[in-house]
Amino acid sequence: MVEPPNIIQESGSIERSPRRIAARASAWVAPIRPGCTLPAALIVAVIALLSSDIAVAGPQEASEDYRALPFISSRVIMWVVAELHLMFAAFVLAVPMFAIIIEFIGYKTGDKRFDELAHDFTRLLSVSFSFTATLGALLTFGLVIFYPALTEYLVKIFSWTFLPYVLLFFFEAFFLYAYYYGWGKFSPRVHLFLGVMLNIVGTAIMFIANAWLSFMNTPNGVDELGNLTSMWDAINNYIWMPINIHRLIANMAFGGAIGAAYGAYKFLGAKTLEERAHYDWMGYIGNFIAICALLPLPFAGYWLGVEIYAYDQSLGITLMGGTFSWLFIIQAVLIGNLFLAANYYLWLSMGRIGGAERYQRFIKYLLAVITVCFAVWATPHSLVATAEEARAMGGSHHPVLNVLGVMSAKNTAVNLLILTTYISFLLYRRSNKVATVRWARTGNWVQFGIFAAVVIYVIFLGVYGYFVDAQTRIGLSQPQVLAVLLAMISVTVIDVFLFRGAEKKGNIAWGKIPARSQYALFFLAITFAWTMGLMGYVRAGMRQHWHVYGVIRDNSVDAFTPTLGYAGLVVSVTVILFFLFIAVVFFLSGLSSKKSWAPKPE
Amino acid sequence: MKQALQIFLFTIVVSAFYWYVSLWVPQKRTDPPADVVIAADLSTEEMVAVGLEIAAGKGTCFTCHTVGEGGAGLRFPDLGTIGAVAGTRRDGVDDVQYLAESLYDPNAFVVEGFVAGMPNAARAPILLTDDEILTVIAYLQSLGGTPTVTLDTQLEWQGQIAPAATSAPQVAAGEPRDAQTLFTTYLCNTCHSLDGTVGAGPTLAGVGSRLSRAELYEAIVDPDATITEGFAAGVMAAMQTAIGFHEQVSTAELQSLIDYLAGL
Repeated sequence: MVEPPNIIQESGSIERSPRRIAARASAWVAPIRPGCTLPAALIVAVIALLSSDIAVAGPQEASEDYRALPFISSRVIMWVVAELHLMFAAFVLAVPMFAIIIEFIGYKTGDKRFDELAHDFTRLLSVSFSFTATLGALLTFGLVIFYPALTEYLVKIFSWTFLPYVLLFFFEAFFLYAYYYGWGKFSPRVHLFLGVMLNIVGTAIMFIANAWLSFMNTPNGVDELGNLTSMWDAINNYIWMPINIHRLIANMAFGGAIGAAYGAYKFLGAKTLEERAHYDWMGYIGNFIAICALLPLPFAGYWLGVEIYAYDQSLGITLMGGTFSWLFIIQAVLIGNLFLAANYYLWLSMGRIGGAERYQRFIKYLLAVITVCFAVWATPHSLVATAEEARAMGGSHHPVLNVLGVMSAKNTAVNLLILTTYISFLLYRRSNKVATVRWARTGNWVQFGIFAAVVIYVIFLGVYGYFVDAQTRIGLSQPQVLAVLLAMISVTVIDVFLFRGAEKKGNIAWGKIPARSQYALFFLAITFAWTMGLMGYVRAGMRQHWHVYGVIRDNSVDAFTPTLGYAGLVVSVTVILFFLFIAVVFFLSGLSSKKSWAPKPE
Repeated sequence: MKQALQIFLFTIVVSAFYWYVSLWVPQKRTDPPADVVIAADLSTEEMVAVGLEIAAGKGTCFTCHTVGEGGAGLRFPDLGTIGAVAGTRRDGVDDVQYLAESLYDPNAFVVEGFVAGMPNAARAPILLTDDEILTVIAYLQSLGGTPTVTLDTQLEWQGQIAPAATSAPQVAAGEPRDAQTLFTTYLCNTCHSLDGTVGAGPTLAGVGSRLSRAELYEAIVDPDATITEGFAAGVMAAMQTAIGFHEQVSTAELQSLIDYLAGL
């Protein structure tokens, strides 16, 4: 028996360290987000100039490191504002990406509908850009007011990067408004050029801002005292490029989903069949973009995770197996719902295609596979149980579910989920077609063979993972992912040739789709937004009580990591606020297509 | 307008559903690890207990390492018998030196079958002090071996910590939670009654007169060390694992709980 140790908690005095700013900011307020506003960027640039030293020094002791609000946590305020800013910025960056592709298709095919659709999407841009700017200004003001010491440190580290950021912001404003207001005013080539430039500038802005926030998670280019040793290393930190790629893809998915929600909103309010047809098509295209971007997103997330582990294993473990392990169960519910809703929408969409009834019988099997994969993915490794239940189970791990709650099973489930959704797309694509090429039967069998082989291979690797050591097991996820990608690419290529000159079995009756399908699109948009909020939280939250991981400690009253329920509440409030703002965007954007006001005749 | 309201209501319902999902999983608040001041006269035996606490808290050792979970498939070395094998891993290096090197310079030697990557326990973000590392070594020695280290033990790495790192500001975050709140937060009340009723675990009514503070401490941090007759081993430890007790509980909270139980 040991005596209780003589332990005395240090209290009272705050030992200020030249190394660590006693900042009162949240450890997981992600302070600087892409798409920060021009006024905000100017303010930051001024601060950078005011605080710049010739040689960048490490964090200095600040007289006032934090400021607080009387009735509400400044962390929560900053959390909500940062997330709202991020959502709008993601949308503003995403819309030009797919608008220009749609416009280009219209230009190449001469089909005016594509041009109109691209224009419809860009209608949402100008108002959204203003919201992004306003929220970015709020975010910057908040950082300067509430967390001056942390802001000062980051500004010193990234001093000159604020100047190109400001310049690029000018250019983005120019190209965005020129692209929107110049629709039909320039030659198609000039207009496409404006769109390309808008995308390049927007992406560059995001990359710069990503350097600031990714540095907070995996700081690089600084010595042990936090002094800058290499600006490039600070920018090109471990997760900078994975975050860049992940955000590019995620923005596309998010933007597509919001665009689809706009289509759904207009569809439900449409007065004519023509309007319904147009907005049904818009919703479909938005959803198509969202799901196409969603499919490779887990792979980009995997790369991001690998880099986090490469930087610091304990940071990775905190993220995936420690404090936040249960967060990924919530994420599984969200992603599972995304896949379910996307498939449900596709199956409903097949109802408006003549000839699709041939494939209806497969839907129940697809649904069964998706449900099983969803359930496996959402199975926790350990269970919350009462003492009696824990005793009956022999611990906190259920004897059966425990087997499904590990990465071998989850990776397998996710890959099969992606493959199943792809099959839904494939069925949708060939709904009203019959292949007429001579090798049609062979082609179908080859496609089936590829699917079968990949499914067996993915399941085999999943099972094999239970019998090998951890390092080998982790390595198995790559061949699983590659096999699924290979299947999707090869089957698509075969399908394109298989259905060349195909016989049409029926037409697509755009606009003839039940209203519940449009609610599936809203559901997708809300779920995307919620997922974004949750993952934004964990990306910043994994730093726990550090503002800059291992460099600047959070010593504020908000340094704790809250419960997931609390985080869920903040995310929900943020999502509701976002959709309130988006409703305003939809309303204002819709005004441009309304008839001019005229006095009522006497 | 009606349609817009319907869509907005739908947004609220879906968001509320996801909030409900987030409430459905275990609710754990994680506070920053509290620093401890180690009394200069700690015995080796006392150092083991302190070392366990530091390993479970500020040291974040159990974020990666397990204790007593053998078998294949472990991603990081299990520490169940580290006290017995530490002195045999490297020729000419005794257990104290080996364990110290593992903490101060963990990638100098990596156990076969595992990969390098463990962070230096004396550096950020862990920032253990030299004395804290000595207590952790004492604890590790106790896992299958006999602790020999004292606070006077000299190690070649001592004093090499970056000056700033040793003086990192340490302030307990937020309002400290009272013992009764902790009693429910950590789900003690799920199994232990305070009114004499026998539940899944023994009642804690009068526990302060039955157990010394040392015994209370041990019963919390190592519940299977002594099992009350009629109750199964492993249940409380499993519960603690499930709720992440060791990852969350701070020194101050532990002291507060012991004070509370000692007064019952």
